[in-house]
Amino acid sequence: MKRAFLVALAVTLVALAIYPMHGTGYGVRTMLQLFMWIALAQSWNLISGLTGYVSFGHVAFFGMGAYTAGILIGKLGWAWPAACLAGGVMAMVLAVVIGWPCLRLKGPYFAIAMLGLNEVLRVIVSYYEGLTGGGNGLSLPTLHASVPIYYAMGLVALAVTALTYLIITSRFGLRLMTIREDEVAAEAMGIDTFRHKLYAFLLSAVGPGIVGGLAARDQGYIEPLSVFPLITTITMIVMALFGGKGTIWGPVLGAVVLFTFQELVWAHFIYLHQLFFGAIIVAVVLLMPRGILGVLQQKYNLPRTI
Amino acid sequence: MAPILELNGVVKRFGGVAAVNRVSLALERGRIYGLIGPNGSGKTTLFNCITGVDQADEGEVRFKGQRIDRLKPHQVFHLGIGRTFQVIRVFPELTALENLLVVTTTGYDEARRRAQELLEFVKLERLAGEFAGNLSYGQQKLVEFIRVLMTDPEMVLLDEPAAGVNRTLLNELLDAVRGLRDQGKTILLVEHDMKVVMGLCETVFVLDHGEKLAEGPPGVIQADERVIEAYFGR
Amino acid sequence: MVGQVVISGLLAGSLYAMVALGLGLIFGVMRVLNVAHGPILMLGAYTTFWLFHWFGLSPYLSLLVSMPALFAVGVVLQRLLVRRVVDAPELSSLLLTFGVSIAIVNLAQLTFTSDLRSVEYLTGSFILGPFAFSKARVIACFFAVLITAGAFWFLQKTRLGKALRAVSQSREVAQVCGIDVQRIHMLAFGVACALAAAGGSLVAVMVAIQPEMGQVYTFKAFLVIVLGGAGNYPGALLGGLLLGLVEQLSSLFLTTQVNEAVAYILLVLVLLVRPTGLLKGRAS
Repeated sequence: MKRAFLVALAVTLVALAIYPMHGTGYGVRTMLQLFMWIALAQSWNLISGLTGYVSFGHVAFFGMGAYTAGILIGKLGWAWPAACLAGGVMAMVLAVVIGWPCLRLKGPYFAIAMLGLNEVLRVIVSYYEGLTGGGNGLSLPTLHASVPIYYAMGLVALAVTALTYLIITSRFGLRLMTIREDEVAAEAMGIDTFRHKLYAFLLSAVGPGIVGGLAARDQGYIEPLSVFPLITTITMIVMALFGGKGTIWGPVLGAVVLFTFQELVWAHFIYLHQLFFGAIIVAVVLLMPRGILGVLQQKYNLPRTI
Repeated sequence: MAPILELNGVVKRFGGVAAVNRVSLALERGRIYGLIGPNGSGKTTLFNCITGVDQADEGEVRFKGQRIDRLKPHQVFHLGIGRTFQVIRVFPELTALENLLVVTTTGYDEARRRAQELLEFVKLERLAGEFAGNLSYGQQKLVEFIRVLMTDPEMVLLDEPAAGVNRTLLNELLDAVRGLRDQGKTILLVEHDMKVVMGLCETVFVLDHGEKLAEGPPGVIQADERVIEAYFGR
Repeated sequence: MVGQVVISGLLAGSLYAMVALGLGLIFGVMRVLNVAHGPILMLGAYTTFWLFHWFGLSPYLSLLVSMPALFAVGVVLQRLLVRRVVDAPELSSLLLTFGVSIAIVNLAQLTFTSDLRSVEYLTGSFILGPFAFSKARVIACFFAVLITAGAFWFLQKTRLGKALRAVSQSREVAQVCGIDVQRIHMLAFGVACALAAAGGSLVAVMVAIQPEMGQVYTFKAFLVIVLGGAGNYPGALLGGLLLGLVEQLSSLFLTTQVNEAVAYILLVLVLLVRPTGLLKGRAS
């Protein structure tokens, strides 16, 4: 069973690797977006799925990465791979700045703080207009690099999934889960919950940071509304929840299913689309809180490495 | 011999009420102590103040001479004080084995070995891979008990270990506790079951409305009028 | 100048206090953080707008419609949805109310469109010595104080109110005393939504109405709860006034853009320094 899975995985990866040579430009750009969502949903899963600390402002890291890379590319002429990595680094810095005061406390307070994060970042972006272009946005020199970015996004998605696998199968991951299960007991059992939460938070910020940079490069233009929208956070959350938070492949499944759905059906009706996502969140929480893979895991007693 | 645990004038208030009011205790190494008192007398709060779950408003707590009342729970744990909870707090979605492994930071193999040992000690080795949430009440209680022992703490605080436990299991637990004492550990337990307290503890502290009412060997405490009054009223 | 700002702060703060009290009730009674609080406020504002637009009804009279209507909505929400996650891990109730908030906002987008609306009702200011205060703000404060006082009277003096406070302190004990906890939960949620709706109706006269207007109030209401201490109802009042004051005072020194971040910075500061609230709250 496991072998069959690994074979299927290998085949899929190879197929994805050679796709750009046969696919259309539109196809490549679509797949690139799918990879982006996988990376985002998976990253959200690292903090919220494992520790139970719901991050409502995760798009902040995406935007941070986008602006960092945008400024480095547009104003300082950096090459985009380095700029995007820098985006990931800056996202981590932001995670430390926010996480340090906010993770000391229990879940609800953290959620509150994350809710307001978006607003603050938008304010900061418009304040430093000279650097960020403020409300007018930031343009990047044109570059047709869809294919390299496709691979880059794919790599990040793969890396974050691999990271999730490593974490979930380690004692570090177990300790993160105890925070979700019973934080008071975890503390009493010698687990420095603050430190663990902070690490998880940092790790969950890198992916969005890099991917934000890549998205910025791909679009060629960024503005506050496009890189800090609530819908990005909402989508990340729905995907991870739907597929199964706290699992390894859950966010991937959720991303694939909902992205396909989004591309085929709802992208044309934005409010209906968001409304639908809101409804899915409610439905999943009430009926299927562990998501699809979580339910399967429980029903068939599957190992945690699903 | 200096006491292993000392409380001096510990006060803990919630709102306007003092749940713990100027409590002072001294525990000698290697003995079994009991902490009893009517409901709401502050016993669990006292435990919380010792382990750092609550911070005392006044007074100090010293473990092996060192002040610990300002430490966080995980720091207190690593100094050598383990505790169980009144309401069982195993991690339900972790297996029994994982519940134990999660506590340690030592090498994986060593931790696994110790966990296996402890599971065998309470005869739960075949349930190692079961999710703790699926275990029976008694089994969860045992898991919580051995979890505390994973890092070999010098002092163990047990909050109502006998609650909801059947006679056979209880006797095993009590034997285990005596075994711990024989190893040189110090044990403080909160308990409502008087038979357990009388049979197990060498010294008993009585709390009432957050204050220490009496202290002494079980026989003496049992006959103390103030204690009887506190439990049954005038 | 400072005097003007201080009083403006108190005026604004009274609204924050009222709305935050609602949020605090839900949190205190059910341990649920209602992320949908802002959207409920928005619905209150729209109610006032449509009543004014179609019937010319005074916004202050519309309180009599928006409050009961959203009370009912709150009760239904609690009964159908929130009830199921009250005992679940916090993560669930957070996500649930988040989902509900998205649904409400987007339903509003679809039905009302995102065109900005306003209620032109009360313009001009009251002049009192050297101070000038916008009439709308003063009247809003007046009603906020009235309604909040009413809420406190309810909590302190009526049997239901006391039962509600009992459930806030300890659900088990309240149950043992024969209190129907489920009914109290519905009541608390309903009252909370009514308070939010009142906030919306009062604010409708002063700001632009659009579906996303509530988000910022959700956050500020949360901030007030943090300031005043979770579960501490009088604390919510002081927290609200404090927030109002701080915002107005900082507007003297900061540009309007940056001022929006003040609430956030305040939150982070409080979380760093005194997370249980400036007054004694219960740390969750």
